[in-house]
Amino acid sequence: MFGYPGGNVVDVFDHVRTAKFRFVLGRHEQGCVHMADGYARATGRPGVAIVTSGPGATNAITGLATANVDGVPLVLVSGQVPLSQIGTDAFQEADMTGICRAATKHSFLVKSADEIPEVVAEAFYIATHGKPGAVVIDVPRNVQEATTDARYPERVSLRAYHPESAATPSQVNRLAKWLNEAKRPVLLAGGGVIAANAAGDVAALAAKAGIPVVTTLMGIGCVSASGMHSLGMAGLYGSYAANAALAAADLVVALGVRFSDRVTERCFPNGVHRARLVHVDCDPSSIDKNVTADLGIVADVKDLLTTVNSRVKPSLRAAWLARVAEWKAKHPFSYRQLRRGVIMPQAVVEAVDRAADGRTLLVADVGQNQMWCAQYFRHSHPRRFLCSGGMGTMGFALPAAIGAAIARPDCRVVAVAGDGGAQMTIQELAVAVAERLPIVLVVVNNGCLGMVRQMQDESFGGRRCAVAFPRVHGAGCPDFVKLAHAYGAGGVRVTDPAKLDSAVAKAMRAKGPTLVDVVVDPEANV
Amino acid sequence: MTEETYRLNCFVENKPGVLARIVGLISGRGYNIQTLNVGPTEDGTVSRMRIDVLGTERVVNQIILQLRNCVNVIEVTSRRR
Ligand SMILES: Cc1ncc(C[n+]2csc(CCOP(=O)(O)OP(=O)(O)O)c2C)c(N)n1
Ligand SMILES: [Mg+2]
Repeated sequence: MFGYPGGNVVDVFDHVRTAKFRFVLGRHEQGCVHMADGYARATGRPGVAIVTSGPGATNAITGLATANVDGVPLVLVSGQVPLSQIGTDAFQEADMTGICRAATKHSFLVKSADEIPEVVAEAFYIATHGKPGAVVIDVPRNVQEATTDARYPERVSLRAYHPESAATPSQVNRLAKWLNEAKRPVLLAGGGVIAANAAGDVAALAAKAGIPVVTTLMGIGCVSASGMHSLGMAGLYGSYAANAALAAADLVVALGVRFSDRVTERCFPNGVHRARLVHVDCDPSSIDKNVTADLGIVADVKDLLTTVNSRVKPSLRAAWLARVAEWKAKHPFSYRQLRRGVIMPQAVVEAVDRAADGRTLLVADVGQNQMWCAQYFRHSHPRRFLCSGGMGTMGFALPAAIGAAIARPDCRVVAVAGDGGAQMTIQELAVAVAERLPIVLVVVNNGCLGMVRQMQDESFGGRRCAVAFPRVHGAGCPDFVKLAHAYGAGGVRVTDPAKLDSAVAKAMRAKGPTLVDVVVDPEANV
Repeated sequence: MTEETYRLNCFVENKPGVLARIVGLISGRGYNIQTLNVGPTEDGTVSRMRIDVLGTERVVNQIILQLRNCVNVIEVTSRRR
């Protein structure tokens, strides 16, 4: 459990003190929620956070929205003023269930201690069933103080919420038939595949029926990048091969995707596609929302694939696979060295990739650095690449990496952030130090808000505004190395391209948290 | 696609905050509610809401699906007015 105390939740903390679970004190409530989020993304198990009322609760909102839009199971307990004071503008009163409505899947305002066991059980049920999401339990102080004999229910049954769904036999038949008939099928795998723990089933279908796989940003890791069926990410910043395969396909089977504008603008303009389109998702409202499907199937992706895999005919599809393999080989992501002796930001991700092994878990922040992490790292496992897709929340990487490192002590967690995003949650470095987590924070330091700068260059005639971070005394501002040292973490700066690999590799072997401040060319574009 | 008025008939759990959640879901996505009528049913734990919204068939279908995703919504039906 991750959290931050305060007056209206202090009664609960009296029991956290003696609880059997590990409690991690964050440094800001947004960070606490991102930590719970990172824990959940890395494991598939719900993350839990606890905050106080008023400002503690409002600080948590960005974290809730970030998790919720990406379908991450998370439960947040927030303190609230005593019931008798609700609606009186009491000290540290905020209408949490009102404020969080659009940032959560559901929320509860607990009215009596007797409700607590049932509400907690329902909150975890809702967070983890159907499309997972964030759930808030708002607990007034007087309820925290009360006692109850109520027991934790053995099972949860909600009157109005029944998210279980399954494909009909005729839908399965049609999908299997279309797959068997298709000459140029493509699987488009999204975050829903990872959430359903169905990555292996996607790979199995691809291998059996000779079908190339492209992913969304959230689907990265579904199939190993080096595999012959894997074409990488589709969409705005996607690979040539992935976008070309989607364009040439005669059947696209979209699995656990919600067709965000990042994908549709590039690959499904106006919400249509020439090819036959099958859309499988556990959320009925995502089907036909942004793209109209020829066959929409509301089902658990894993259940569906288990059935479909037994129904498709083995096929090599040699010609089609050869064609996409050629695209993949001929058009890898590439960049040009802009200035001699200056590190290119893409090279930073390549250095992390070279230093990585089978146990590396990469967490990206937001901005140019996020797209380079998606493009230049050879992703090989589900739940080993975490980033904020739907919200694009700057400051996500460091706290989410802390949550992931706690969840997966067997993995080496590397967070990559821009100099902008790093400054949004840098205080959580104190948590990595206090908890002795050997995470690496790589700051891709281009001295600017690169993604916005690129947008201003490309779409506003180069009229740059509010994007530069002026350098002071040669170092960036702040001096990230000094900052790391101030927190008790290791810190090194790299400016020389020849020293990049060794610095990154050394940080990834360090015993404690280490910040690597890499000064990169500020003019590089995605 | 032309916009028309649809009447949504919702049966929802009679719990605090449910009305706000449903109205927020519709208005938060930029759709205007023309008429809203909430009342009890014979079952005291269930309320009935009649909501008139203006939108294309596609948009209204989307709203219905999202209402059905709502944890407190038991049933939604619609008809063109
Ligand atoms: C909290 C938040 N505020 C603003 C934005 C808008 N935004 C998107 S990318 C970006 C620039 C990020 O700069 P930096 O972290 O340095 O990364 P870079 O693009 O330079 O790699 C901004 C401001 C955002 N995504 N999140
Ligand atoms: Mg930057």
